[in-house]
Amino acid sequence: MSGIQEDDDLVFHKICSLLEPLNDKGVKLSRDTDMIADLEIDSVSVLDIVMDIEDNYDISIPVNTISEIRTIGELVDAIHAIKKEQSAS
Amino acid sequence: MSLFDKFKSTAEQYDALVAAGGRDPFGVSMDEMLGPTRAMVKGREIVLAGTNNYLGLTYHDDAVAAAKEAVEKSGTGTTGSRFANGTYDGHRRLERELADFLGFKHCMVFSTGYQSNLGAISALVQPPDDVILIDADCHACIYDGCQLSGAQTVRFRHNDPESLDKRLARLSPEVKGKLVCIEGMYSMFGDVAPVREFVEVAHRHGAYLLLDEAHSFGVYGDGGRGACEADGVLQEVDFYTGTFSKSLASIGGFVASNHSELEYLRFSSRPYMFTASPSPANIAAASAALGKIATDDTMRKTLWANAKRVHEAFTQLGFELCAEAGPVIAVLMKSREQAVMAWNFLMENGVYVNLAIPPGTPNATSILRLSVSAAHDNEDLDAVIGAYTALSETLSAMEASA
Repeated sequence: MSGIQEDDDLVFHKICSLLEPLNDKGVKLSRDTDMIADLEIDSVSVLDIVMDIEDNYDISIPVNTISEIRTIGELVDAIHAIKKEQSAS
Repeated sequence: MSLFDKFKSTAEQYDALVAAGGRDPFGVSMDEMLGPTRAMVKGREIVLAGTNNYLGLTYHDDAVAAAKEAVEKSGTGTTGSRFANGTYDGHRRLERELADFLGFKHCMVFSTGYQSNLGAISALVQPPDDVILIDADCHACIYDGCQLSGAQTVRFRHNDPESLDKRLARLSPEVKGKLVCIEGMYSMFGDVAPVREFVEVAHRHGAYLLLDEAHSFGVYGDGGRGACEADGVLQEVDFYTGTFSKSLASIGGFVASNHSELEYLRFSSRPYMFTASPSPANIAAASAALGKIATDDTMRKTLWANAKRVHEAFTQLGFELCAEAGPVIAVLMKSREQAVMAWNFLMENGVYVNLAIPPGTPNATSILRLSVSAAHDNEDLDAVIGAYTALSETLSAMEASA
């Protein structure tokens, strides 16, 4: 369990480091931060951040999945699910 | 009221944007058209430099005469879809003409360029077995086509065949059909895709390539057949899509292919089946414009000479440009506020261009997007370059005093 927890933190911090330059209002980032409502980042910028994450973890995250994601926590969970799925196949 | 809550923040931003410059950049009314490059806007004559009318054929004698004749002979509208009563001789003939011009065996005419991509992608790809891979900067109609298909859609980095290669390699072996979507020239920055490399990567992975030449048809390639002709890979494109509403000076769109299965889309593509077909006048005008493009390259030559002149002038003025010389010349602005100010400044100086801001632009940039036309004469271009010169001086003065 602790392995997943650590991995979770790493993914979370990676996402935060990508979001921080766009965090104009200086919102404190947590798992519950809504990227569009709280940070006022547009939908295309979210897709661009995901592209960085994809290259970082060598995974593909479909646009369909991203469009259902609102919070940082949901993005972390989605990355885990896809990493697991793509390493299995 | 909760139905409307989601618009609130965008509506506030929109209001602020209009208030900042005193004009609505996304609601300009061309009160009276004076020709392909001039219009009256609020009592003032404006030079149009944001129309996508690349070859300037909207007022060409042949196109106007053909449209008039078609209205008189076949009526003002077809009142039906291609699938029912809306296929006339003209629709079939234009499909043949486009296929012959491009050198493809099959072609389907749709009611708009938007619907061509929407209709092709949504019908070709089906969940859960098929996957679509799209260039990050693809037009909204390609994104919407993906969404309508319901299939898994993966974005790759703009104009980066290696990024596509990686994503194709990652796909599960269970994926059956793979469709890669790119554009010839991208409409916002005016940059051109390395089509040859994309063809190679897509086909190496057993994927089909859909290429949207909406903005490059009539403009790129020795014969005006687009970026894929310029790259020498026209015949290797699986699905070639285009529009009538740029160089073909009308409204409508098409998909051309050597795959005979394209014909299956006539009974499976919802954006083809459930909308009225293009009017006889639209078809006749597009056909006449195609005839000009196929037989006379003087407009293309004039367009390129104009594009080079404007690009060179803007470079000398010190503007940061988004691509090499071409029919779309986008100037990068420092911020959304500066872009709005500059757009209003150009209107005050009698020049209309397109204001483009996020999320409608790549990399969250704000730009002034200008499109050059073969119909721009020297007086038009002098006015455009003059207005940008004044803008450059104003921006420098503002920077110096800031």
